[in-house]
Amino acid sequence: MEETPLFSGEQIYGLIPQRPPVVMVDSLYRYDGDGAVTGLTVLPDNIFVEDGRFTESGLVEHVAQSAAAFAGYGTFKEGCPPKLGYIAEVKKFRIRRLPAVGESLRTELRILGSAAGMSLLSAEVYAGDMVASGQMKIFIKE
Amino acid sequence: MEKQELVEKINSALAEEFEIDVEDITPDADIKKTLELDSLSLVDMVAIVEEVSGVKIKGSDVSQIKTFGALYDYLEQHC
Repeated sequence: MEETPLFSGEQIYGLIPQRPPVVMVDSLYRYDGDGAVTGLTVLPDNIFVEDGRFTESGLVEHVAQSAAAFAGYGTFKEGCPPKLGYIAEVKKFRIRRLPAVGESLRTELRILGSAAGMSLLSAEVYAGDMVASGQMKIFIKE
Repeated sequence: MEKQELVEKINSALAEEFEIDVEDITPDADIKKTLELDSLSLVDMVAIVEEVSGVKIKGSDVSQIKTFGALYDYLEQHC
């Protein structure tokens, strides 16, 4: 049975600061204080699609915006607008294959630790099978 | 997990991640100086300690923990 997202489509704009055409997350399926599950369907007009495939840069941006959606949902619950975040570091990022147009990504995020405004998170991106995994350090501007 | 076992696991994990000798990690040693932490790598230390110990360190507490001895005490109090 298909899972109903907590946020999807343009509702996501309430969680992240990005706007089309650079929105690289279209669903938030789950959230708890330590992580989230997000999604993105790769459409043909996605700016990170080349030769019918979602590129490496797109996957990294998707993970970064998934982290933004995670942080955004936290502030949304407090009635605040989404905060700006910056990628501070990408670690141990491994891409197994580039998803094709039409595939739906499902990304599992987990916060590994936070200090001094910085959070280290792990991400696993699935499109049926795992297509990418890695860690990302994100700085959220207060 | 006994405190000594936890201390050894944390020291070993930190020494490997930050590429230092495990003997350099002593209870009185300053964490930031020993691991050569900066604003980017501080969170790496926190993530390793949380993973090994299973204890979540509050963001506001991180800056208060100066030495490894203080870190071990914190973990013992919050496990």
